[in-house]
Amino acid sequence: MSKRILVVEDQEDNRRILRDLLTNAGYEVIEAVTGEEGVSSAVSHRPDLILMDLQLPVLDGYEATRRIKADPALSKIPIIAVSSYALNGDDIKALEAGCDAYISKPFSPRELLAKMHEHLP
Amino acid sequence: METVSSSKPFTRASSISRRFSYAFIGVVTLILLLFAATAIFVNSARINAELEKRLDNALKLSYISLPAPLWNLDNDIVDDFVQALFLDESIVFAEVLWGGQVISRRVRGKFQQKDASYFEQSSQFIVKTSDILYEGNKVGTMRLVMSRERVKKELIVTISVIITLTIFIIAAIALTSLVITKRYISRPLLKLQESASLIAHGDLDTFVDKSSSDEIGILADHLDVMRGSIKQLFGELSESKEKLEEYSRTLERKVEARTQELARSVEELKALGEVSQAVSSTLDLEKVLATIVAHAVELSGTDSGAIHEFDETTEQFQLRATHRTSQELIQAIQESPINLGEASLGRAGINREAVQVADILEEPNYPHREIMKRDGLRALLAVPLLREDKLIGGLVVRRKAPGKFTRETVELLQNFATQSALAIQNARLFREIEEKGRELEIASKHKSEFLANMSHELRTPLNAILGYTELILDNIYGDVPEKIQEVLERLQDNGRHLLGLINQVLDLSKIEAGRLTLSLNDYSMREVVQTVFTAAEPLAAEKNLALKVTVPSDLEPGKGDEQRIAQVLLNLVGNAIKFTEEGEVKVEVTASDGMFLVSVSDTGPGLSEADQEKIFEEFHQADSSSTREKGGTGLGLSIAKRIIEMHGGRIWVESSLGKGSTFRFTLPVRVEPQREQR
Repeated sequence: MSKRILVVEDQEDNRRILRDLLTNAGYEVIEAVTGEEGVSSAVSHRPDLILMDLQLPVLDGYEATRRIKADPALSKIPIIAVSSYALNGDDIKALEAGCDAYISKPFSPRELLAKMHEHLP
Repeated sequence: METVSSSKPFTRASSISRRFSYAFIGVVTLILLLFAATAIFVNSARINAELEKRLDNALKLSYISLPAPLWNLDNDIVDDFVQALFLDESIVFAEVLWGGQVISRRVRGKFQQKDASYFEQSSQFIVKTSDILYEGNKVGTMRLVMSRERVKKELIVTISVIITLTIFIIAAIALTSLVITKRYISRPLLKLQESASLIAHGDLDTFVDKSSSDEIGILADHLDVMRGSIKQLFGELSESKEKLEEYSRTLERKVEARTQELARSVEELKALGEVSQAVSSTLDLEKVLATIVAHAVELSGTDSGAIHEFDETTEQFQLRATHRTSQELIQAIQESPINLGEASLGRAGINREAVQVADILEEPNYPHREIMKRDGLRALLAVPLLREDKLIGGLVVRRKAPGKFTRETVELLQNFATQSALAIQNARLFREIEEKGRELEIASKHKSEFLANMSHELRTPLNAILGYTELILDNIYGDVPEKIQEVLERLQDNGRHLLGLINQVLDLSKIEAGRLTLSLNDYSMREVVQTVFTAAEPLAAEKNLALKVTVPSDLEPGKGDEQRIAQVLLNLVGNAIKFTEEGEVKVEVTASDGMFLVSVSDTGPGLSEADQEKIFEEFHQADSSSTREKGGTGLGLSIAKRIIEMHGGRIWVESSLGKGSTFRFTLPVRVEPQREQR
């Protein structure tokens, strides 16, 4: 059975790129557009890994991460933060919020796949 | 006046007359004694002569009377004659001899036993021997002895008389002289002495008795003149003493006044010092003004005070600080602020000078008059607060005692007014600065947000473009024809370049906003160079350039922001490769005195001197055409410079056209945290 990846990303293009990349690599991809949707999808779909965009409207990636990590049933799921913010401290903030790893856009597909491999059970 | 004499009074008043008498008696006695001596001498000589004459006479008598009897040997007659001779009591011995035989001899009773030789040996006697001749024949020898006792007796009598006389004369003279000196010398002298004593004891008003017309009178006259002089002198002296005392009193008063003035000045200075300290140390305007008005009231000895700020738009004075002002009055002033031209404050504001009201009871329409009356306040003094001739506010003090304020008080308040004006101006400036600061902060925040947003907004589509391109090139969407693949690679290169530009602009903005912080960690310079070499080697190889690296193996571990240092070195090496067409690029690292010295040399076109100066400025490349040709933003070196300087190092270039360039930078081996920010 293929691993299930939850992609939380508000940008359609980015979602599509990730979907195309991950599907092509043999993963099952579940998509969420907002932070809330991301949290509820995590509850309902129990993904093996979450790719979390940090800049989300309303409920941002940090808060969504905190909520997921606060749920004992979900806290084991690795979360990789994806951000295009280059300002200092994003990575630290992401790790503080509970993310297991951080990757900055633009990333090469191979780089992302390698990082996912690292954190998948 | 009683201070004049401390000398002894004249106690031996008669000593002069006594001394005078002694001297006089002495002289008289001496003269008398001389006189007596002369008299005795003359007398004794006379008596001696007389005795001798008597003896001679007796002898002569014997010459006449004795020859015949002797010749005749009539001894009785001779005896009688001798007896007759003895009638002269002075004759004590008579002897008539003839041829050794005594014819007649007679001796006075008390010399019975004595013979002729006894008499001859004694000076008490005169002995005369004479031959008696009768018709030329010696008929006998006559020897007569006469005693000088009578002379002696007579002499004693004479001397007694003289002495008695002398004593009498001396007594008389002494008495007379005593009387005379007492009458004519001592007494006037005593009087003079008394006068002098009186003068000595300070009595200058009793006239000196100058009744005698002699020298003493003259003396008394002089003494009186002297008394007059002394009296006048004393008058003058006491007058000048009084003047001196008066002067001294005036001086004392002046000193006291000056001391008080000085004490007040010191107090003022102290207060002003505190005030200016408050002005400079705190920007809390209310607090500063409260300090000022409190000091102003205390030092001016008034009972209440306030500082108002002038509002130019409403032309009213707004209450800013008060001291010992009743709540009622504060409320009243706050409710109806003083207008320009109204009350002492408003007038002071218009006239630009201190205005005072000696008694508000005499000014029926004075604002808040009734409240002040109830508070017992009568006099008012208002001083305008001016700053470069601009009205800023006013300082008012109120006093319970009616009357004018002294010039000192006005000056004092003017000093406080100056300080208040300064404080208000400072506070205004501070408010302005604070406002500007806030605006700037907001602007800066906006800028940061804008940059963050922009980078996000710019990079999001760019990321999508690069993402799709990469996926296409990875044949995720199916096989890509070779021709299209080549174009896609160009697309990818340009996309990455654009992303690099965006990132550099963002980096510089962060540095300028002071938002770039170094994360200081231990690192190995050797590893940094290795990383850069690995990244740049393919680029050099692509252009057939030799990339050479020289790093000592024993470099000590550095402390700094490894990523940023690598970024700088990569930028320098990247530039060197970019601008060099043939030859080599050399990286060399040395360390000395706690500094790394890193140099990147190339065999490129080199830089003109003018370009060397400008090359580290933003958006500048040696040749603007090369920017397009070679790519790059012209921001790399400027970012490199900022990063090196943040580490406490220095970066520069050595080059000349056609001979290649060498970029060098120094870097402290161990960067201390306080040096990271510039």
